[in-house]
Amino acid sequence: MEYSDTLIDHFRNPRNAGMMREPDGVGEGEYEQCMDLARFYLRVRDGRVAEARFQAYGCGPTLAACSAGTEVAAGAALEELARIGEDRIEDAVGGLPAERRHAAVVVARAIQAAARDAMARREVH
Amino acid sequence: MNRRVYLDNNASTPVHPEVLQAMLPYFSERFGNASSVHGFGRDAREGLETAREQVAQFLKVSKDEIVFTSGGTESDNLGIKGIAAAKRSGHIVTSQIEHHAVLRTCETLETQGFAVTYLGVDEHGMVRPEELEKAIRPDTILVTLMHANSEVGTLQPVSEIGRITREHGIPLHVDAVQTFGKVPIDVNAFGIDLLSFSGHKIYGPKGVAGLFIRKGTRMAAVQHGGDHERRRRAGTENVAGLVGLGKAIENRGRDMAGEAERLTGLRDRLWEGIRARVEEVRLNGHPTLRLPGTCNMCFRNVESESIVLGLDLKGIATSAGSACTSGSVEPSYVLVAMGLPLDWAMGSVRCSLGRSTTAEDIDYVIEAAVPLVAKLRALSPVKA
Repeated sequence: MEYSDTLIDHFRNPRNAGMMREPDGVGEGEYEQCMDLARFYLRVRDGRVAEARFQAYGCGPTLAACSAGTEVAAGAALEELARIGEDRIEDAVGGLPAERRHAAVVVARAIQAAARDAMARREVH
Repeated sequence: MNRRVYLDNNASTPVHPEVLQAMLPYFSERFGNASSVHGFGRDAREGLETAREQVAQFLKVSKDEIVFTSGGTESDNLGIKGIAAAKRSGHIVTSQIEHHAVLRTCETLETQGFAVTYLGVDEHGMVRPEELEKAIRPDTILVTLMHANSEVGTLQPVSEIGRITREHGIPLHVDAVQTFGKVPIDVNAFGIDLLSFSGHKIYGPKGVAGLFIRKGTRMAAVQHGGDHERRRRAGTENVAGLVGLGKAIENRGRDMAGEAERLTGLRDRLWEGIRARVEEVRLNGHPTLRLPGTCNMCFRNVESESIVLGLDLKGIATSAGSACTSGSVEPSYVLVAMGLPLDWAMGSVRCSLGRSTTAEDIDYVIEAAVPLVAKLRALSPVKA
């Protein structure tokens, strides 16, 4: 399996890994066919993500896509992240082999869920 | 630059330099077709028959009982379909943990009206002889069971299995692709009628293999054409490759016992080193009745492909038990048959050692694997 240098770099040195205490939004993405699971935590300031962190169970590409996903999320507006497509995640890891596209799917789903959770909490407050 | 450590010898091995040297003349001055009557053909034929003699000597059988093929898969197909074609109908007994070359051949025969029983295995991956005894029916035409499983390395009780098949007068086919040249095989004492073996697991080239067929075993050819291999397998023989197979097994006769002892020590050093420093890890396969160089471990709540990738980035080649294909996960059917829960089976990694493996390699692997598993577990939201 050939992976991009960007993907390998994220796998070797995952950015923003680990849970976040008292986040403003939390969301999970799952890809049931392969049991991969990503959980994203967002810290929000003025409607934009100030910090994103992740936890994940899955293959190397999924872990790398989570790491890249936290960088995509940082600075972005919640409304934008609530609709984020898997292509943005795939681009952020320098592409994915066809057999590993689920990595982008699971991360996009987790980011969308976390952004929606943050938006829902904002409305309550 | 990382150290490079190859721990995937159950998948394939590098060609031994002596094997390569033996093969080289058969690509140039001895290139003839072994079926030709002229001198070029005779030269090739001599190489081919020497290889047959080398295999026969290792197995302590007659060279007329050795048929060469293009791979272990073809050997399994020939053995099983050859018996089925001769009998035309009936019942076959095999196990749930066979190689796909056996499982899919049996499944194909089921579509052609044959009945097949797939025996389960115990927690170590071992067939229970008493279950074989119970599975045998009056119309059973063949028992086909592997000598050792490629994933976990458990050695099957072939001697006991052979005693049962002999008592019932049923031919026994043994897929010995993973054991040929690695552990002793006595086809006469074990009561084996057909035995599949291959070249590239024992430092020979890929694309050459064979089937031992005990004299008097009633079977039909499944590939038709010329009169090669005494009409049991049509097709021009890969002479250079088979010369390599012959030399490889000759070497194994010399090296096997010493290497088995050395690899058993290294295999146990790897497991002990990992077990001492990693929590929630288990060894798969029989603790002692196992291929000398095979160490299959499960790391709970870690996905095996992420371990394999992490080790690969350190220059270490291993293989994942679970395979993620087109986004759907396939846990190892062998581990599932052994009763492993999914949260364990998903994290299996096979290390298969070989003649080049050193103690320094093993220590390097332990030093790479321990922090890698810790790091992957730290990333995971899934906790035990």
